[in-house]
Amino acid sequence: MTSYYRAAAVAVALMLVAAGAIFLFAPTDALQGPVQRIFYLHVSSAIAAYGCFGVVLIGGAVYLRNQSAAADRLARAGALVGLVFTTVTLVMGMLWAKPIWGTFWTWDARLTSTLVLWIIYAGYLLVRRLAEPGRQAARIAAVVGIFGFIDVPIVHFSVTWWRTQHPGPVIINDALPPQMLATFLLTMACTLVLAGVMTAIRYRIETMLDEAPLAAGARTPLVHREPAR
Amino acid sequence: MTYLVPAYVFAVLVLGGYLGWSLRRLRELVRGQAERGNS
Repeated sequence: MTSYYRAAAVAVALMLVAAGAIFLFAPTDALQGPVQRIFYLHVSSAIAAYGCFGVVLIGGAVYLRNQSAAADRLARAGALVGLVFTTVTLVMGMLWAKPIWGTFWTWDARLTSTLVLWIIYAGYLLVRRLAEPGRQAARIAAVVGIFGFIDVPIVHFSVTWWRTQHPGPVIINDALPPQMLATFLLTMACTLVLAGVMTAIRYRIETMLDEAPLAAGARTPLVHREPAR
Repeated sequence: MTYLVPAYVFAVLVLGGYLGWSLRRLRELVRGQAERGNS
């Protein structure tokens, strides 16, 4: 228990370091002004969400292969944390778009595919919540999680596959000055640590709920609660 | 600044709120487990 608090404290401290770099170290963009600083956490959150959905993919595939309850729990944890990071990505992106594009939202390929990604994993969590608990719900969710991951490369490559209003890749195109690049890489590393800690805590919660579904004010079991065969 | 501040306030509220809620949930479950162990 204490180790989870310690890990959370380390993750928060790292995010504060990243915030220091974003607001004190990174230079102000000459064209966009201070609002460009949204980029650092916006993109890092998107990458953290991809990672979490990758966990859902792997967890779902392992579950379908050997009915591992641990893999199913990992997938559930990854889906929830990934959804949190996708929400941050979408809202920060909208708040960046307003002063730059003059609108919060446009049905651009990148924005639309990211919204679809959010809906897919919200659907995944809804399946877990509403379906009759047991192997069937876990199996359906695993399939949704695996097929849902198809949208991740679509989101990522949408800016190169289609003409979009959303900016293209700046990291691989070497378009960032060194100080901005260093700030971005630091923020991304800290955000990935935070996502890892959040997933580990959620995994522990899912394990405890599986072990004692009606304990400590827990809800009636809504998700897969059976031990692996 | 008009949009930068709300963007980061939102991120802090969502990420910090989720982390805090998770830790609280975990503490409740650990307490419940300990109480069941004692009874």
